[in-house]
Amino acid sequence: MSLFKARDWWSTVLGEKEEFDQGCLCVADVDNSGSGQDKIIVGSYMGYLRIFNPHPVKPGDGLQAEDLLLEVQLREPILQVEVGKFVSGTEGLHLAVLHFRKLSVYAVSGTLGNVEHGNQYQIKLMYEHNLQRTACNMTYGPFGGVKGRDLICIQSMDGMLMLFEQESYAFGRFLPGFLLPGPLAYSSRTDSFITVSSCRQVESYKYQVLAFATDADERQETEQQKLGSGKRVVVDWVLNIGEQALDICIVSFNQAVSSVFVLGERNFFCLKDNGQIRFMKKLDYSPSCFIPYCSVKEGTINTLVGNHNKMLNVYQDVTLKWAAQLPHIPVSVKVANLQDLKGVIVTLSDNGHLQCSYLGTDPSFFQPPRVESREINYEELDAELKELQKIIKEATKTQDILPKSEKHRDLIVRAEVSPDLDAESKAIDSEIKGEAVPSVTVKIMIQSRVTAQRPNLAVCVQAPLAVTCDQFFFDDLEPDASETVVLSVFLKGNCPPSELEGTCVVSYDTPTELNPEGIPRVAQCNFRLPLRLICFPVQPSKAANHKLTIDTNKPPVSFLTIFPDFVDPSEDDQANVLGFQFLTGSKTTLLASKTSQPYRIQSDELEDLWLITKELTLRLEEHFKKQKCKDFACTFSGSIPLQEYFELIDRHFELRLNAEKFQELLSERAVQFRAIERRLLTRFKDKTPAPLQHLDTLLEVTFREVIALADAAEENEANMSQAFTKLKSATHLVIMLISLWQKLSADQVAILEATFLPLAEDTQELGWEETVDAAISYLLRTCLSKSSKEQALTPSSQLCMPKDTSRLKKNITLFCDRLAKGGRLSFSTDSATQQAAVMPG
Amino acid sequence: APPRPGGASRFRSSSAGRPPPRAPLGKAEGRGPSRNRCGGPAGEMGLEVEPLFQAWSYFRRRKFRECSDLCSQLLERPPGEQEQTDSEYTVFQAAWSLKTRALTEMVYVDEIDMDEEGIAEMMLDENAIAQVARPGTSLKLPGTSQGAGPSPAVRPVTQSGRPITGFVRPCTQSGRPSTMEQALKTPRTALTARPITSASGRYVRLGTASMLTNPGGPFINLSRLNLAKYAQKPKLAKALFEYIFHHENDVKNALDLAALATEHAQFKDWWWKVQVGKCYYRLGLYREAEKQFKSALKQQDMVDTILYLAKVYLRLDQPVTALNLFKQGLDRFPGEVALICGIARIHEEMNNISSAAEYYKDVLKQDNTHVEAIACIGSNHFYSDQPETALRFYRRLLQMGVYNCQLFNNLGLCCFYAQQYDMTLSSFERALFLAENEEETADVWYNLGHVAVGIGDLNLAYQCFKLTLVNNNDYAEAYNNLAVLEMRKGHIEQARALLQTASSLAPHMYEPHFNFAVLSEKVGDLQRSYTAARKSEEAFPGHVDTQQLIKQLKQHFAML
Repeated sequence: MSLFKARDWWSTVLGEKEEFDQGCLCVADVDNSGSGQDKIIVGSYMGYLRIFNPHPVKPGDGLQAEDLLLEVQLREPILQVEVGKFVSGTEGLHLAVLHFRKLSVYAVSGTLGNVEHGNQYQIKLMYEHNLQRTACNMTYGPFGGVKGRDLICIQSMDGMLMLFEQESYAFGRFLPGFLLPGPLAYSSRTDSFITVSSCRQVESYKYQVLAFATDADERQETEQQKLGSGKRVVVDWVLNIGEQALDICIVSFNQAVSSVFVLGERNFFCLKDNGQIRFMKKLDYSPSCFIPYCSVKEGTINTLVGNHNKMLNVYQDVTLKWAAQLPHIPVSVKVANLQDLKGVIVTLSDNGHLQCSYLGTDPSFFQPPRVESREINYEELDAELKELQKIIKEATKTQDILPKSEKHRDLIVRAEVSPDLDAESKAIDSEIKGEAVPSVTVKIMIQSRVTAQRPNLAVCVQAPLAVTCDQFFFDDLEPDASETVVLSVFLKGNCPPSELEGTCVVSYDTPTELNPEGIPRVAQCNFRLPLRLICFPVQPSKAANHKLTIDTNKPPVSFLTIFPDFVDPSEDDQANVLGFQFLTGSKTTLLASKTSQPYRIQSDELEDLWLITKELTLRLEEHFKKQKCKDFACTFSGSIPLQEYFELIDRHFELRLNAEKFQELLSERAVQFRAIERRLLTRFKDKTPAPLQHLDTLLEVTFREVIALADAAEENEANMSQAFTKLKSATHLVIMLISLWQKLSADQVAILEATFLPLAEDTQELGWEETVDAAISYLLRTCLSKSSKEQALTPSSQLCMPKDTSRLKKNITLFCDRLAKGGRLSFSTDSATQQAAVMPG
Repeated sequence: APPRPGGASRFRSSSAGRPPPRAPLGKAEGRGPSRNRCGGPAGEMGLEVEPLFQAWSYFRRRKFRECSDLCSQLLERPPGEQEQTDSEYTVFQAAWSLKTRALTEMVYVDEIDMDEEGIAEMMLDENAIAQVARPGTSLKLPGTSQGAGPSPAVRPVTQSGRPITGFVRPCTQSGRPSTMEQALKTPRTALTARPITSASGRYVRLGTASMLTNPGGPFINLSRLNLAKYAQKPKLAKALFEYIFHHENDVKNALDLAALATEHAQFKDWWWKVQVGKCYYRLGLYREAEKQFKSALKQQDMVDTILYLAKVYLRLDQPVTALNLFKQGLDRFPGEVALICGIARIHEEMNNISSAAEYYKDVLKQDNTHVEAIACIGSNHFYSDQPETALRFYRRLLQMGVYNCQLFNNLGLCCFYAQQYDMTLSSFERALFLAENEEETADVWYNLGHVAVGIGDLNLAYQCFKLTLVNNNDYAEAYNNLAVLEMRKGHIEQARALLQTASSLAPHMYEPHFNFAVLSEKVGDLQRSYTAARKSEEAFPGHVDTQQLIKQLKQHFAML
């Protein structure tokens, strides 16, 4: 991240698909021109050696033909190029080129032509050494304090330092503990070699120590530098920096003390001569190369650090002075004097991008791309805005999110229940033991008039009933296509259901022009299941706890006609008495007198009456409808069996209380468990092991308790759902009896159902009791209120689980009383809409 | 008291400037076929580059994929070729070590930056010294600092009660709940997510490759490794340790190796001590980690060790000790940015915003390209009502090449408050264009809604807030502001529902509570008004309007 970019002074791209690395760039006055002008020497892994002398006419120029002084291809990859006084007898600068198995020293010279482009440059091989080991990098300097010449030290890939005294090989030494080569540098002040080893330490070896170590070569063959296996070399000093290093530089400028700079992978160190840290700097980027150079401020040293985010940072000691953006990742950076311009920054990237640049205040390259913007035509935009606002207004005006019923439905779903039970039962996993559980086939047909995307059919039946498959996914439907699926319904749970109905819902998307994803829609239909699915005929029993009498205004009908599927026609004595046995075991008996109208239903359990009563009224209605008899009506005169109903409520409520108790106990035990865990953890973490003092036993016991509690809670849950089904059956019965008793209209029955059978699930936080209580007290306050005083009462603001059911029972009794005294269930206009949303269907 | 729209505009923390992780996380770089060959590109010229040298060079240039491939080829050579005359050194070992390092570097993320506290760590924390810490000594009670922090009326706060910072870094988002039950019940929204269950789950995803399947099995089979043997070879052991720790994420084995190695080094190698400390830290043994780091510091002063030790102190909830440590570190390494930045962060977390800003300025004196410092100072200026100054900081970030949604969002807001209206909308336009996910889009729309409220276009404001909710359904501030707009329209029921949603989504915000109190008081429901006002007071004790309302209500009750 930088404000500015490095200003391009001169740049070029070298070769094609050539590779370069750290050692490949060198800057020096290699042709000994004496003008103090540096040349740029670049070698590549492809073996090309190039020498440049850039002199752009104006800054930012590219390569001119005469800038390239020399280009030769050597036969081997060039690992490193260095310039120094490598030839004996002269103090002139020569070029050393390191290959894998060879070190060559060249003299570079130029002959002036008449015009500038007539200048000729050539290299002349002075001497070369063949190496027995694969070289890696090299350093040079006046080893041992010699004057006026430079000696060369080559590090091989397997950790041998090979020293050359110009034309002759001096000796070779192995570095101790070597694994992979690190950077190598020579410090003339201390006359030692400094490297970073694989142990992540900066190590310094005195030249003297190296030279006087037992020479391996003497024991070996006469052959030059063959397989030197030097004796252990003693290290001068070691500094553990804990990371690998990329490069080492040693600088001693006149004003500053000599320092060793080490560029690590994550930090940047400046060391004193004796290997102590002078300062260090944590880098928050990955550096790629660096070079220290002198500073204008006394006592400080400036450093250029290039990194992999294409940045060049200038530090004065540890303070960032400048940051410049480069066009490439530099693998090597140098500072040169070119064409009377001092301090040009020369950078080389690994794909051969060579650039000479200087620091300036050109803004960085980054230009935010333009946001796509169209020509603004205000009139059009105004019109569009108005149009959109109109649409939004329309959309917000209709508060109702429910779609209006469409006359022509796009997609029709129909369900057909087969009249007979399946010949072979399809029931799976039924909890009912003993007898075979019957099943009935339901055929569902979907017909689409439009394209329906991703149609998805869900079939739902109430809890103790189950279906063989409740989800179907189809491919997209074309217009006028249809799909048919077949499934079976059976009784799964061990209690009779509260409803013999099922629902199937199809959800699908209809794509429009603007919205290719489609608008989500649903279609649904209900189906009714046969009574035979859950019960079968038995011998009627005379005695029973609960009896109901339903009156009709028509003469009785023989059971042979209305219950043909339960009565065997051969036994005509059964015509006025009929026994039903549910799959779960309980029995219900239906009696009809031969002469008078009433029917009697009797059973041991209140909730079992419901399904039979419902079936009876339904079948009677159907029968009389067939006979074109319109004024048929059932009535109920007896008192509502509230007491028995309350017992069921109490049973359900008791289970809810139990569930709450279990929950409390569970959370208590969980807290205890965590506390023990924490104690144990402290024990185990202690250095000196203390006895556990049976904490482990305690943990185990608590764990078992938690599991046992969870099991009990689960069982309670199952009981509760069964109790709720029974409660629902009884509620249905009570609603039906109330409506028959008071001859309520369909609207009023709907309100009654909404009051007693909320759509919400029965959960611990929000259960049936409080919901129904709230609904009834609302009715008592509004349409059934006796005085205006009652209307003013505010209901409790929050629904929460009551302490007992006495208030609910009182309210239900009061409700029945009010209805008996002629109260009517109807709402004034404003609240009617509110109620409508709650109504099912 | 008039109803308040949701306090200050919500300023987005800019996460952008964070220095990118050092290595692409397990991302395979595109591999050219020519790079794959053993001989390297020089092959076509007939120039043979030594494969080990080539791999070494690739490593230095951070071409880890190529380096690792080349090392694999070297390792696959039949053993006969690997024979070398001396036993100390083999090409095999070198290639193995290089590959280990390359694989590690590929997934390396600085351990100092990694910090995540899970529920298990928070709840089973037995390091706490005092249940109720004294003011100014703990990070757990953010409201206790004496320094003049900005009031929540001006600067929005996070769930844990800290002001929103200018820079997203690990741990600034999650709060410290006080009980397990509360931790589990904290609403889990996309941005202020509840703390993750355990830290170990997070580490697996952050900067490790242990979940990536490797064809042909893992490179090193840890279960078959003889750690004691490797511990005696320091040159191999260090690379191997980093591989186990960073790449395999197997802290237990790493600790075993480090313990053996530090013993072999006769407890003289500070690096091994730091590594043992790192392992202890990951395992949650903070006191042990502290011992190791302290011992390492005695041997060798290192910036990283200081940072690790400070991290331990922060986890032990001893910010003052950490501050002292940083200051000692600064004596040894004057001007070290990481240390100054650490001090600034602690001050910021302890609500001492003004001194945090001072330290961030010190950071900028050392490194003027430090994005975190610029962003934090910028947001601080913004919230202390100096949008022009904040604008300068954000413009600098823009010039430095930060180019993301958050920055333009902040620029837009600064422009608006600095009354440079011409730039406001174009900045937001750009922010929308750059938004990477729906949360960011929601933020921009929310701020646009704020601008619309500011210029009085309530219709536009309404639609902006609606769009916010379309993009992010959990945006409590937008619910609150919508409620205020509904209140103005006289839709009491809707307003009440929206306020209830807002307060259940963000119980730490005082605005929904206060607005609810005002609304209830207006319709005459004094009881509810009082309850809501108390909640508002709890969230923001110094809010004058709330106090007045409570006083007024108390008078009413006294009259009754």
